[in-house]
Amino acid sequence: MTIKSGSGQACAACKYQRRRCTPECLLAPFFPADEPKMFQNVHRLFGVKNIQNLLKELGHDLNQKATAMKSIKYHAAMRNKHPVWGCMVEIHQLNCQIQLAEEELQAVLHQLAFYKQQHENQLSSRTADDYISDLQLGMAPPGNSLEAHSHYNNEEAGAADYNINYMDFKEMNNVVNSMCGYSNNNSNDNNLNSTVTHAHLVMQQPPLSAVEQQQHEDYSEMQPFFDNIDDSQSYIGCKEAYDQSSLSLESQFKASRHDVEEIDENELKSAAACFSLTSVN
Amino acid sequence: MASSSSSSSYSNPPCAACKFLRRKCLSGCIFAPYFPPEEPTKFANVHKIFGASNVSKLLNEILPHQREDAVNSLAYEAEARLKDPVYGCVGAISVLQRQVLQLQKELDATNADLMRYTNNEISPYNPRRMGYGSGVGSYNPNPGYSVPYSYGENPGHGSN
Repeated sequence: MTIKSGSGQACAACKYQRRRCTPECLLAPFFPADEPKMFQNVHRLFGVKNIQNLLKELGHDLNQKATAMKSIKYHAAMRNKHPVWGCMVEIHQLNCQIQLAEEELQAVLHQLAFYKQQHENQLSSRTADDYISDLQLGMAPPGNSLEAHSHYNNEEAGAADYNINYMDFKEMNNVVNSMCGYSNNNSNDNNLNSTVTHAHLVMQQPPLSAVEQQQHEDYSEMQPFFDNIDDSQSYIGCKEAYDQSSLSLESQFKASRHDVEEIDENELKSAAACFSLTSVN
Repeated sequence: MASSSSSSSYSNPPCAACKFLRRKCLSGCIFAPYFPPEEPTKFANVHKIFGASNVSKLLNEILPHQREDAVNSLAYEAEARLKDPVYGCVGAISVLQRQVLQLQKELDATNADLMRYTNNEISPYNPRRMGYGSGVGSYNPNPGYSVPYSYGENPGHGSN
């Protein structure tokens, strides 16, 4: 029969061990009498002596001791629930969740960047008339594609920063993966692959339709410009211009021929002079 | 003529457990397949945290083909506890849970932005996600470990 401690009842540890629970009992503050199963788990995994050694190592900091005992209880409960893997089950599941969430976030960020760019293109296309008039005047088009690209890069960098943070746990993940077996990894990989494939498919669909839509919008906005032009007048204008240009070309050719002839005659004369001079010597 | 004292060396070298415990490594030693003599620290860590008798009882309760995985997980947990006597491997769980929550928040915010863009409610020159965006790349070197949130749900529902 256990002798009650100062609190009025023996702690779960002393009750389990069937011994007297003194006020100096190290485990009494952490194992109340109404939680016998908790102590049984801890006792089964660690043993009383190891727990006492661990508490002694922590010194006199009560907060640290309380936190350590909480973690030990959690650890023992996980080992009781999963006798083979223990806490590794939770770690592995969390790693998989993080990986899936990260990939999903990447896919959504890509989509968001695309829609931002599309939105900017729509805004810039509203000033198409101004743009065309600028072209007529010989001015350079506005360069907003670079800005859209920079937005995309900023978001990608943000996601990349998180990738670096996640990499801090890569060592643990490698240990977990090596221990959890290839079958688990394969099944998770299949889930991941299907998720990634689905994300890629979703991502690919909007760009195709958006590009086509963009092209359609471009053509629809260029159409009024061509409709205002009279084809017959334009042809006549072109013909006149062509005739004029052909005339000018012909005259230029004649002039050049004349020049060539003149040049040849001059050269011959100079050559002859040289010949005569040399002949004297 | 082989002496009787070298019977263990004649059959097999003593495993790390028997070497540490300074006892004869018999042919049916439960530790021998999982604690090779080339890895003495593995058993030393496990013994320091859990104790050889507890590990032996645990291994006897599970199937033989699962024992290697159990030993490896125990070795990892023991090493984690030695490195961090307060939190052990539970600290890693707490940090990972926090990361999951943070990622989920980020994902929700990004999905909300995406919905708005598809409905053409936001202009590209009005960034909204300054708060969440700044939280993505930040790393807190002092995360403030806490016991995982599922502890209160009494995970010890019984072994499988």
